[in-house]
Amino acid sequence: MALVTFLITVAAYVVGYDPAEAGLQLGQRIDWVPDLGLGWSVGVDGLSMPLVLLTSFITTLAVLAAWPVTFKPRLFYFLILAMDGGQIAVFAVQDMLLFFLAWELELIPVYLLLAIWGGKKRQYAATKFILYTAGSSLFILLVALGMAFAGSGPVSFEYSDLAAKTLAPSLQLLLYAGLLIAFGVKLPIVPLHTWLPDAHGEATAPVHMLLAGILLKMGGYALLRFNAGMLPDAHVQFAPLLVVLGVVNIIYAALTSFAQRNLKRKIAYSSISHMGFVLIGIGSFSPLAASGAMLQMISHGLIGASLFFLVGATYDRTHTLQLDEMGGVGQAMRKMFALWTACALASLALPGMSGFVAELMVFVGFTTDEAYSLPFRIVIAALAAIGVILTPIYLLSMLREIFFGKENAELASHSNLVDAEPREIYIISCLLVPIIGIGLYPRLMTDSYRATIERQVARDGAAIHSAAAPPLPLRPPLTAAMTMAPALR
Amino acid sequence: MPPASELAWLIPVLPLAGATLVGLGLISFNRTVNRLKVPVAVLLISTVGAAAVLSYAALAEQIGGAAPVEMLFTWATAGSFSLPMGFRLDALGAVMLALVTSIALLVMIYSHGYMAHDKGYVRFFTYLALFSSSMLGLVVSPNLLEIYVFWELVGMCSYLLVGFWYDRDGAAHAAQKAFVVNRVGDFGLLLGILGLFWATGSLSFDGIAAGIQAGLADGSLPAWAATLLCLLVFMGPMAKSAQFPLHVWLPDAMEGPTPISALIHAATMVAAGVFLVARLEPLYVQFPSVQLTVAVVGTITCFLGASIALTQMDLKKGLAYSTVSQLGYMMLAMGCGAPLAGMFHLVTHACFKAMLFLGSGSVIHAMEEVVGHEPVLAQDMRLMGGLRRSMPITAITFLIGCLAISGLPPLAGFWSKDEILGEAFQAYPLLWLVGWLTAGMTAFYMFRLYFLTFEGGFRGHDTALQARLLQAAGRTAPDHGHGEGHVHESAWPMTLPLVVLAVPSLLIGLLGMPWQNRFAALLDPREAAEAMAHFSMAEFLPLAGASVAISLVGITIAVLAYALGRLDLATAVAGRFPAINRFLANKWYLDAINERLFVRGSRALARQVLEVDAKVVDGVVNLTGLLTLGSGEGLKYFETGRAQFYALIVFGGVIALVVLFSL
Repeated sequence: MALVTFLITVAAYVVGYDPAEAGLQLGQRIDWVPDLGLGWSVGVDGLSMPLVLLTSFITTLAVLAAWPVTFKPRLFYFLILAMDGGQIAVFAVQDMLLFFLAWELELIPVYLLLAIWGGKKRQYAATKFILYTAGSSLFILLVALGMAFAGSGPVSFEYSDLAAKTLAPSLQLLLYAGLLIAFGVKLPIVPLHTWLPDAHGEATAPVHMLLAGILLKMGGYALLRFNAGMLPDAHVQFAPLLVVLGVVNIIYAALTSFAQRNLKRKIAYSSISHMGFVLIGIGSFSPLAASGAMLQMISHGLIGASLFFLVGATYDRTHTLQLDEMGGVGQAMRKMFALWTACALASLALPGMSGFVAELMVFVGFTTDEAYSLPFRIVIAALAAIGVILTPIYLLSMLREIFFGKENAELASHSNLVDAEPREIYIISCLLVPIIGIGLYPRLMTDSYRATIERQVARDGAAIHSAAAPPLPLRPPLTAAMTMAPALR
Repeated sequence: MPPASELAWLIPVLPLAGATLVGLGLISFNRTVNRLKVPVAVLLISTVGAAAVLSYAALAEQIGGAAPVEMLFTWATAGSFSLPMGFRLDALGAVMLALVTSIALLVMIYSHGYMAHDKGYVRFFTYLALFSSSMLGLVVSPNLLEIYVFWELVGMCSYLLVGFWYDRDGAAHAAQKAFVVNRVGDFGLLLGILGLFWATGSLSFDGIAAGIQAGLADGSLPAWAATLLCLLVFMGPMAKSAQFPLHVWLPDAMEGPTPISALIHAATMVAAGVFLVARLEPLYVQFPSVQLTVAVVGTITCFLGASIALTQMDLKKGLAYSTVSQLGYMMLAMGCGAPLAGMFHLVTHACFKAMLFLGSGSVIHAMEEVVGHEPVLAQDMRLMGGLRRSMPITAITFLIGCLAISGLPPLAGFWSKDEILGEAFQAYPLLWLVGWLTAGMTAFYMFRLYFLTFEGGFRGHDTALQARLLQAAGRTAPDHGHGEGHVHESAWPMTLPLVVLAVPSLLIGLLGMPWQNRFAALLDPREAAEAMAHFSMAEFLPLAGASVAISLVGITIAVLAYALGRLDLATAVAGRFPAINRFLANKWYLDAINERLFVRGSRALARQVLEVDAKVVDGVVNLTGLLTLGSGEGLKYFETGRAQFYALIVFGGVIALVVLFSL
């Protein structure tokens, strides 16, 4: 089923989608409650299409990864497919109320998947997850109502109508803050992240892949779609905050990841760290950085999914996630070692892999973003670059503690400690092909959403010019910025 | 047939294709591919060989006076940006291509002998091909960004190869250390590249230099900012080329197999930093303060490496510190504004240092027959001695290497080192003095290595000494696989590269004689012609004489101490100045400082952040949960189910509101 969905989305991409077009494509609209402007409205543009593809791709692989699940398999697959549907709906709907419904709908399968198939503390993790996200998504509903009823014109939840509205700046700020909390939980933004290590720590491998691969991207997508896309004046005020939060994410989560002794939680924190680049990209007013943010989401979707899959596969063999109890299993599991090394290198942004391109685009885009003052850019770039040092420290230490060194006799005698089987190699190869493909030639991906991102960034950039008092690190459009422009060949 | 320069993109692609093919084979049909040792080796050696043929063809074209070739395509684009990638082939690149491919080829042939019985033979060759590909890519990169890409890739290959024997703890730590220390350098390099791009809007070498010049001229770029950017970029070469204080990874990297030490950690990758500085010469030449920094860092490195090498007992570590020292010479040349001299030393050093390392590998290989595969024993010179009689080819080539690195005419090292010292004498006489003293130390420690290893009597069967060494290293007794074997000369795949490399070690210096400098004429005809026109034998002879003299002093001390036994250095120097001896034996305490300050510091910091995360941030969340639970518990007693009670509450509420609003 998941494969069918994937094939349909690929077909839709190949046949019906024109990457050069910035607007909505493949749209469909059916009215439901016309008086309130409610209706079924779907469609894709550059923001949604890559993520829809990613969702169906990862879900297909997650189903393949779920092969060994023997406890209530039918319910398991049902929930996974339900989650798939919910997530695609989140990315594809073009109506904010429908978006809220899809957002909530997708929580239920995740809750059940956590609560039924999770680890020892699954009840705690699942409850924490549902309270956190359901609580925060209340803000989505409030903001959706606020946006629909405020301003002039008929009541409508349609994205295009909402985006066309010009709301009062103070109202925009309020709406923006609400959405930031809602999506910040999902992304997650430190300090709203604590559900994630628990949820990830307890999930089984396939669920894990979906959580890391897709669920986190909903936050980034929504930030781009609503916050940056529909509330440009508030975005100008909030963008520096996003950038600062992004840097906090990168460094804070990298440090916590380094100190973690539990493999799953280590990778979970590394996900948070990587999401920091998405925040910086969204918070900057350069098309390159925004494009990098988008690419980082896709790239992390692939890399995160592959790492979490490997965590699951390793746990099946060692029956422990404590790094102290591992060590020296590289001898017995050579292929596993190779797969781990490849994915860890991808995650630490090795050139030739997608993560590098995404981070580089964010870096280059941000430092050349004339909207921010020079000292602010220097400080942020330097701090974000510290993440470049921290990431290999924790990832390579992890590899060393699992695989390197003298063979751990107790583990090695374990009968379960067999090398990677073809199914596992196949899954990882499926993920590595796009990772390396994008790394070698990023335009494969970036061209598919370039037009949309550029249009959106242009709109946000225009908002700086009209802003009466931009916040401190932002500077009003200077003539200097204009003279620098030719330099940006 | 298009000219070879236009096919230069094939040079890195060929080994990459081979490595990919074998790598895929390894992961899908592990057992089968692992058994196909010879076919895999032949395939990969021939890809590198083809790359070598192309490189020499390209070099011949450059010598013939062909124009540089550059081809670009748009790699990434967004908004008005586009990041170009492609390749560029000029004289400098062609020289490096020829050098890298030839040494890679020889090392691969050598590895066929050295790694013959290793379980990871095929994996080793795959990594080697992968490394060659990345290094060649770095050499043909037309802009800083692409350099950065390949810079990281060679770093990755180094990581994989240092950690090749991953069941050894030492290798695991060394690999990680190498990668992380290099990332510290890359941190600066990345920021520098970003800053230069911001300042000039260009990533190509000439574009950056021109942009900075223009920016300084019209005042849009302050001088301090430009200087800072140059220094940031220099952090990259400092880490990659093992310059003080980021040199700490290189000696540890000797945990990798010896062919790797020869190829990556002596001849090619560590020279990448020097190469990058040479590429950026048009930029650096604009900032005397940056040049001075480069020269000072180079001199410190040069002196530090040589001083630590004086006391090393591990053959490979001794050579490693010697590499650190020689890289310092190259950096010194760059800082003196003499990239030609630096590049020339890079080339000559690559030849004789690769030969020395391969020679040490041959020695270690032979020693393993006697003492087993424990590196603590097999690499310790206290257990060697008298190996010349059983391994004459290795001994003679090693001796040639020692003579070459000591700078005796007419061997390779003399011409290149003397050129650097001559430039330093003109630019910074004080630094020249340090470099000159170091030349003496170099001669001394190299001949110390030679005499301890190849002359005297063989000490390998001294089991008491073996036990003491093991105990000092904290190891348990080794596998008893070998025991009483005999030392013998290595097989032809290992000796052939030694002999081949001995030829350039002897003769390649003649290309760079100051009065007829063909090497400089190839890289920069204009400057070379100028230099040759100004050449005067009266200036050259005293400096050259001084260099040779101090080398001879160093050699004489080594002969007296280690060959004739007339001089007991242990009592004469080490006994009299124990502090200095301890200081050198502990490698200037840099590793200890590193461990205390950065390793433990970062661990403690990380643990504290995690504490905060678990206790404070998550604590607040759980506290909220508890509060809701508690309030719910409390409130539930209000839900009695009695309507009168509810009515009472409603009534009370209304009264309260009325009172409130009437006030």
